[in-house]
Amino acid sequence: MTYLLEARALRKQYADKLALRGLDLQIAPGEIFCLLGQNGAGKSTTINLFLGFVSPTSGAAFVNGLEVAANPLKIKEYLAYIPEQVMLYPHLTGLENLALFSSLAGYRYSQPELQGYLTDAGLPAEAVRRRVGTYSKGMRQKVGIAIAVAKHAQVLLLDEPTSGLDPKASNEFSELLRRLSAQGTAVLMATHDIFRAKEVGTRVGIMREGELVDVRPTAALNAQELEQLYLTYMH
Amino acid sequence: MIHSIAQKEFVSTLRDRRFVVLSGLVLALLLAATLVGRASYRSLQQERELAQGTVNEQFRNQPARHPHRVAHYGSFAFRPKSGLSLLDAGVDTYTGSVVYLEAHQQNSVNFSQAQQSGSLIRFGEMTVAFVLQLLVPLLIIFLCFGAFTQERETGMLKLLLSQGVSLRQVAWGKIRGLSQAVALVVAPALGLAAALLFTGEEFAAGPDLLLRLLLFGLSYALYFFLFVVGSVVVSARQASSRAALVTLLGLWILGCIILPKATANLGASLYPTTTKAQMDAQVHEQAQHGINGHDPHDQRAAALKAALLKQYGVDSEEKLPVSVAGLQMAAGEAYSAKVYQQHFAALNATYQRQNRLSDWAGLLNPYQAIRPLSMGLAGSDFAHYVHFQQAAEAYRYMLVQRLNHLQAGMGYGDKERRLDARTWRELPVFAYHAPTLGWAWPHLLLPLAALLLWGVGLSWLGLRLISTTSVT
Amino acid sequence: MHTFRILFSAEWHHFRAAKGLVLLCGLLLATGLYGIYYGTTEIERQRQHLATLPELTRRNIAELKEKFPGPADAGDIGYYHSTFAVHHPDSWAALSLGLRDVNPTYVKLRLLGLQNQLYAADNTNPMKTLSGNFDLAFVLVYLFPLLIIALSFNLLSGEREEGVLPLLLAQPVRPAVVVGAKLAFRLVLVLTLALLLSVVGMLWAGVPPDGRVASWLVLTTLYCLFWLGVVLVVAGLQRPSAVNAVSLLGVWLLLVVLVPSLLNLGVAAARPVPQGIALTIQQREEIHAGWDRPKAQTMSRFFALYPQWRDTTTIRERFAWRWYYAFQHLGDLAVARQAAAYAQGLQQRYDLVEKLNLLSPAISAQSSLNALAGTDLPTHLQFQRSAERHHDALRAFYYPFLFRRVAFTHADYAQEPTHTFISAPELTTVQHGLLKLLLSVALVHLLGLGLLCVRPVTPR
Repeated sequence: MTYLLEARALRKQYADKLALRGLDLQIAPGEIFCLLGQNGAGKSTTINLFLGFVSPTSGAAFVNGLEVAANPLKIKEYLAYIPEQVMLYPHLTGLENLALFSSLAGYRYSQPELQGYLTDAGLPAEAVRRRVGTYSKGMRQKVGIAIAVAKHAQVLLLDEPTSGLDPKASNEFSELLRRLSAQGTAVLMATHDIFRAKEVGTRVGIMREGELVDVRPTAALNAQELEQLYLTYMH
Repeated sequence: MIHSIAQKEFVSTLRDRRFVVLSGLVLALLLAATLVGRASYRSLQQERELAQGTVNEQFRNQPARHPHRVAHYGSFAFRPKSGLSLLDAGVDTYTGSVVYLEAHQQNSVNFSQAQQSGSLIRFGEMTVAFVLQLLVPLLIIFLCFGAFTQERETGMLKLLLSQGVSLRQVAWGKIRGLSQAVALVVAPALGLAAALLFTGEEFAAGPDLLLRLLLFGLSYALYFFLFVVGSVVVSARQASSRAALVTLLGLWILGCIILPKATANLGASLYPTTTKAQMDAQVHEQAQHGINGHDPHDQRAAALKAALLKQYGVDSEEKLPVSVAGLQMAAGEAYSAKVYQQHFAALNATYQRQNRLSDWAGLLNPYQAIRPLSMGLAGSDFAHYVHFQQAAEAYRYMLVQRLNHLQAGMGYGDKERRLDARTWRELPVFAYHAPTLGWAWPHLLLPLAALLLWGVGLSWLGLRLISTTSVT
Repeated sequence: MHTFRILFSAEWHHFRAAKGLVLLCGLLLATGLYGIYYGTTEIERQRQHLATLPELTRRNIAELKEKFPGPADAGDIGYYHSTFAVHHPDSWAALSLGLRDVNPTYVKLRLLGLQNQLYAADNTNPMKTLSGNFDLAFVLVYLFPLLIIALSFNLLSGEREEGVLPLLLAQPVRPAVVVGAKLAFRLVLVLTLALLLSVVGMLWAGVPPDGRVASWLVLTTLYCLFWLGVVLVVAGLQRPSAVNAVSLLGVWLLLVVLVPSLLNLGVAAARPVPQGIALTIQQREEIHAGWDRPKAQTMSRFFALYPQWRDTTTIRERFAWRWYYAFQHLGDLAVARQAAAYAQGLQQRYDLVEKLNLLSPAISAQSSLNALAGTDLPTHLQFQRSAERHHDALRAFYYPFLFRRVAFTHADYAQEPTHTFISAPELTTVQHGLLKLLLSVALVHLLGLGLLCVRPVTPR
């Protein structure tokens, strides 16, 4: 079977630190893989390697069977990315930002369609035509979600996507992830939030100092067991 | 409290590698400009002294000649460079260096350095004043643009204020610390310049030079202080470092590049002048026909002759003890010189009107206040140039009139005779004495007042603005 | 190509939203228009001044006709009569005034020795010449780079600092295309402004539609391209916006201010010009020695050079005009070598700058624009040579009267040779300038592209 995301002995050495020490990881269609770990454990590096934002020291990352380093442009057609803090062009409206990013991804939507994506992501209808400069962090995050959804990507790369969202919006986001995974989208999500990981993830991986120290299917544990497990590795 | 903030600012500036590199560059440029300024001062001064000596010798060693021949032989007046012009060449590059002095006409001051170079000269000259007026403010801007914004961006400002310091104290501390750092860059160059000025035998060191240099240093200190305070104020009022930097650079470009040129050009457009050819023609016409047009030269000459005959109680020119031609020449010279002076004064008044626009702009733009002040102190401004022109004309007039009176004393038939070669040795040669600071003072009041006004206004208003600025 | 178009139009949106930049462009446009206005009025003023000169000559002749009502000795006429050698500006001069305000635009000539008339300065306000001209060339050479810097110092770094870059680069877009679209947008914007101003200036100044129009436009385009290349290099280094702004302004300072002023010092030291002062002093000595030398000696020296005027009569009287003008001319000849060396020294200085100005495209651009408008030193030297030829023509006109002792009548004034000189462009300098600019453009763009290839764009 082809994995949508695959890392083979992925290593990343920065000038002053070894960020990733030989990561092996496969994520299949429909899977939601949650990466847990402290700051600096290598979660963001992993995501950046899949995005091609950083190049691996050795090993390789694959998206939909294509090696990232060799196909930096092609793989981005399959990916959507939501960073921890979605930053947009402040002087464009939410709608204009979505239109711009979608058109770069090759989609040309009508105004009602664009508006639909934004409101579906939870953005209040009145905010759609306001400048992003006036948005709160959560509102920007929702535009980021809309951009990802409108891209109809097979893979979602999420770096702490729910930070800055209120609990209601976080729940809606979890709902959205489940819906997408049911359609066969593979999700890689870096998070601090153990409970959300347990709630939406199909598998969780615990990272520590650049290594994936444990991987478990979430169905096999309850939230408390997961927290216990996490804390054990952190000591 | 202010002291410890100042200390912190000073020390951290010195530890900033960017500051070290930039200020090293500025210091190197300053020292180089000082040395180059002295070298060019020396060569120009030597050249002019040598030339002045040569023409003076030539004048004194003339053979026996008729005095009017000598008046046409004439002499040259070379403009000596002022000592401080090695720091600020002012308009010297664009003014001529030598004027030919002869009977009947006032010649232009010729051979400016600008005429001896291509349009490259229009990009500006590397002098100490250039570095001080344009580059040091840039250094200050780079040094100070983040004074408040960076503290705010890193949250340090809140921490500082929570210690019980007021915003005003923070501002003064920063201004003091940053000023110390700037002084460290500028002082060595000014020290070197002072040392060169007071040890070099080619400079007439005296209290006047000392006073000029002192004021020179003080005005620049004030000028730099303005930039430090201004940059800190802008830094406090802007939301981000980037915005502060862009605003300050924009102001620099406006004040140091665009406005001076624009006001000078506007002044020239508003107050047109006549050409030398037109002026000479007018002077000639009025000298011929009388200033009022009803007193022609020939009538004046005839009246003079009649008056002489009457005075000596004789009936013909041959019996006069004096040469009528000589006295007529003297009267003609006196008349045409008077006419010329009127036109010259009108021309200079127009130039001053043209320049006044720029001088008043000094109230809006410190660069346009320090520039005239600096060149005025250096003795290289327009007023000093006019002073030289007037001294040269005064000497020319004196010389020609002495010669005319020598001719008059030769009596009738002077044209057939010559005066002894010794005569020329008794005539004074041209020696130019640069005016003192006391003379230059009135020209410097407006720019100095503008600078002081800026200093007081910025310290008061700027600090008020800072104390109402937002902390977050 | 598709994404390029999207990004390009996005840049237009960003630009429109940035009110400050729109204002800046508007200001620069206004500044440019003022530059054109100033340049054209300045040249118009010079033209008006030059137009008064024939009137001055007419008045001078009228005065002489009154003074000498009948046939006169040509010697008297030559002594009291003055004409002008006039340096008329080309219509291009309005766009690039060059040194037209530093060098006199006319020379007043009498039949006397030329060398102490040739270097006479005109009335100028030195404060104004020090401040320089606010012409279109100044706006293009000095201020356009600053506009380019203001528009582009946060090219890419702005996106990085706003945090948009990760999201942007997560799209299937080549980073080079992002940079390319941004640069292309700025190029279009800047060139629109620069070429618009140039065309307005050309129409305003009424230049003839010849090859120089294309040269000016290409020069302007290349110069803007050079600065965009510098922007590309700095963007390729991927530093924060503040560092970029400082670096770009540093490059501007270096190329537009420091290199020219240092070059000026260097050239003055490397090519010392034989002093014009010395030659005028020597000429005076020669001429006045003429009074004291035996007349026969002066005349035989003169006749050796001009055998056609040789006559057998010796001058016995105390004064004769033909003798007077002979020693005036001999005075000029005595310093001919120095005069040539002086002019040549100035030309060599200029030539050395032309060689070295590869160091700064700003100097190349400025001197090319001046050369195109015929307002730089070489044109002035040409004018001086033409004034010299006019003086020769005047002598040739008066000599028959003087040596054949023909009386000068009122009708003869109209026969006097007249002088016209209109600045001609220095087209070789322009061509060299174009090549140099092309070379600089290629250099910075290659460097910038190389940097972008070597250092991949990082989103953070």
